[in-house]
Amino acid sequence: MKRRPLALVVFLLLSLSAALGQSGGELRFYLHSDPKTFDPLLVADDASETIRYLTGGVLVRVNRRTQQAEPELAASWKIARDGRSITFDLRERVYYSDGTPFSAADVAATVQRLMDPALHSPTADSFRSGAGAVRTHVDSPARITIAFPAPVAGLDKLFDQVAIVSSRSANKQRAALGPFYVADYKPDSYVLLKRNPNYWRRDAAGRQLPYLDSVRLGIQPNRDIEMMNFRRGDIDLINWLDSEYFDRLAKQSPSLVHDAGPGLDSEQMWFNQVPNAPIPAYKRAWFRSTNFRRAVSAAVNRADLSRVVYGGHAQPAVGPISSANKFWFNAKLHAPAYDPSGALRLLQQDGFRLQGASLRDREGHAVEFSIITNAGNKPRERMATMIQQDLAKVGITVHVVTLDFASLIERITESYNYEGALLGMVNMDLDPNAQMNLWLSSAENHQWNPRQKLPETAWEAEIDRLMKEQAASLEPARRKTCFDRVQEIAVEQQPFIYLVNKNALSAVAATVANASPVVLRPQTYWNIETLSVGVQTAGKR
Amino acid sequence: MPKIVRRLATMAAVVLVGGLLSATLVRLAPGFDVDEQQLDARLSSESVATLRRARAHDRNIAGFYLHYLGRALRGDLGESRTLNRPVRKLLAERLPVTARLAGFGLLVGWLCAVLLALGATMTRRVACDLAATVLGGIFLSLPAAVLALLFVFANAPAYLVIALVVFPKVFSYTRNLLAKSYNLPHLLTAYAKGVGRLQVLIWHVLPVAGAQLLAVAGISVSIALGAAIPVEALCGIAGIGQLAWQAALGRDLPLLVNLTVLVTVITLAANWGSEFAGQSFRTSEA
Repeated sequence: MKRRPLALVVFLLLSLSAALGQSGGELRFYLHSDPKTFDPLLVADDASETIRYLTGGVLVRVNRRTQQAEPELAASWKIARDGRSITFDLRERVYYSDGTPFSAADVAATVQRLMDPALHSPTADSFRSGAGAVRTHVDSPARITIAFPAPVAGLDKLFDQVAIVSSRSANKQRAALGPFYVADYKPDSYVLLKRNPNYWRRDAAGRQLPYLDSVRLGIQPNRDIEMMNFRRGDIDLINWLDSEYFDRLAKQSPSLVHDAGPGLDSEQMWFNQVPNAPIPAYKRAWFRSTNFRRAVSAAVNRADLSRVVYGGHAQPAVGPISSANKFWFNAKLHAPAYDPSGALRLLQQDGFRLQGASLRDREGHAVEFSIITNAGNKPRERMATMIQQDLAKVGITVHVVTLDFASLIERITESYNYEGALLGMVNMDLDPNAQMNLWLSSAENHQWNPRQKLPETAWEAEIDRLMKEQAASLEPARRKTCFDRVQEIAVEQQPFIYLVNKNALSAVAATVANASPVVLRPQTYWNIETLSVGVQTAGKR
Repeated sequence: MPKIVRRLATMAAVVLVGGLLSATLVRLAPGFDVDEQQLDARLSSESVATLRRARAHDRNIAGFYLHYLGRALRGDLGESRTLNRPVRKLLAERLPVTARLAGFGLLVGWLCAVLLALGATMTRRVACDLAATVLGGIFLSLPAAVLALLFVFANAPAYLVIALVVFPKVFSYTRNLLAKSYNLPHLLTAYAKGVGRLQVLIWHVLPVAGAQLLAVAGISVSIALGAAIPVEALCGIAGIGQLAWQAALGRDLPLLVNLTVLVTVITLAANWGSEFAGQSFRTSEA
């Protein structure tokens, strides 16, 4: 009987410890390539982005669960009415990992360097709303105002990507404001991050974060080896899992895999509408026809793609914004229904007719085209094959061509020597401004017909107008109205035939406490400060 | 001109032509001019144009190659455009990894091949010969990439893949060579006079076959290096094979040219080394 209270105390302590996370331990997972840079302002690849997220201190952090901006190094901020400037009140008594104090001077130096046109930072391009220089004004060591030449929509959330670099530290790589700093890097082997002893954040109980002592990022390009080592317990998490691997792992250890639902990324196909592309004129005429694109869209069975190719771990895509994007998704829109008969009716309106099992255009050309996609991407290759089968049902012959990625990029961006393409779009950002260079008709990434001097169609002109209007507006509601209309036009015109939004699939070992995977990147370690690894497991390794 | 100077001059010429050919092929490959980053929707047109300009820098292949040679003479091998790191450093880090992998693979492959070939020819049993031939045939027909995948799943050491790639080629050559040697008239006479098998092997077979086997050693180095590309790429080993694979996918001109030059030098050195050893062997025998 006497043992019961003691057991209860032990149980309570263990529960509390599990709930709050245990201090110590090393979290291990893989990067799929060496980071191309440790300079947080030049990040463009996934590996460098991971390092930036784990080591960089930012003024504002977008909470990956709520999708709302939250104060980080800035205790508060205020955007000017005209949207041209933002004033940050910074946290005081914050120090870099090397002991140098953090102040507004560091923010000013970081912003000035970031916005230097010679740096060509992808992060900086998101802030460029108009010609002219960005100015910083240090009001006090804890207050800074940053002024832009033109209003920048969604300005505060953009600072989620800007890690503040020390202006005074001798070794900038070791001076971090984030939860960890880079302690060691062995090319092709690993990056070792160690806990920032001066990290400013504390948990509810007043304990300094992060709980983890270190994060070891092994460099492993092979996904099979990653999966095998996860099973063996050599690594603690896989941030992004293929649906095939997910199902395989789910069969063995269902508690370790997490399907957070549809993510922000989409898979889509499009037709080449470039006027001087080296394709026959009659094919270009098909591709430029709204009815033709809508018919192809209606003839593709998206539910089957989700079910067969992704094992149900994907959702039929509606348009450029996934339903995972809580604010910007236009909930009035629905994924085009699978309707081969409707597709044929649309095609008939444009003079197409079925001749036996083959669809012919007005001039008698058999309707056939090729779709290029990147070789080695199994889901995409399978999707292309299924699209081939779906379109055969309406008499369209599709040839699937797989190319290595460099050749594919060359075709879609330089030579335009292709008919249709199937690719995915990675959405890093929630704000539609991040898609500006996709939707503007003059943009490089306006894939179906890039670099137009003037919009070639009325609907593209309308999209241009709406995108510019939303970018210039500071009213979230007005911006939302504009971008909702852009989404509607995209669904009406189908320049991109959106197919599916893949689910965010991940795997986390049972020894990792407080993991709560979400759909936004980085799905599994977005709350890295509060993650901890079971001590008993760490001892084994 | 002394023979060694002629050899070195030939080697330099082959390396120069090999490097130029490699540079030309990479330059002509589709996708040379582009960068994956161009598809980043966050990038402005100016940033995309800058990426294009950076790639256009190496468009003139003659200009690139002359510039490369000039720098190489000063010890600067340029910078990898996909990995953003000096090529010299990359090679220094990764060459030992591949050397270990290929070295162990060659050693195990040769040991197995020679021992099995000896067993098959010395025992003169049809079953033994057939078993060894079938085994060799199986590994000869399996691509290195398939073997590498099997080894990844079996968590077996990757050098064994190199060994299995080298083994069938060395085995079939060695077995044929030994069989031919054992059928020489003076050996048949020796057997008839009751000379022991080991004695025949050491004094009469190996001296005849040794020089020719050494010639195969040079070729097997090239085979091992060729197999290292899929093996390292699939097994996640950071050697020059994996580097070559990444460089080819990224159309990384500086890296590919240097890798070509390096592999050419190793192959030529291995071939000439084995030829020289073979000649010395014959001379000492004579």
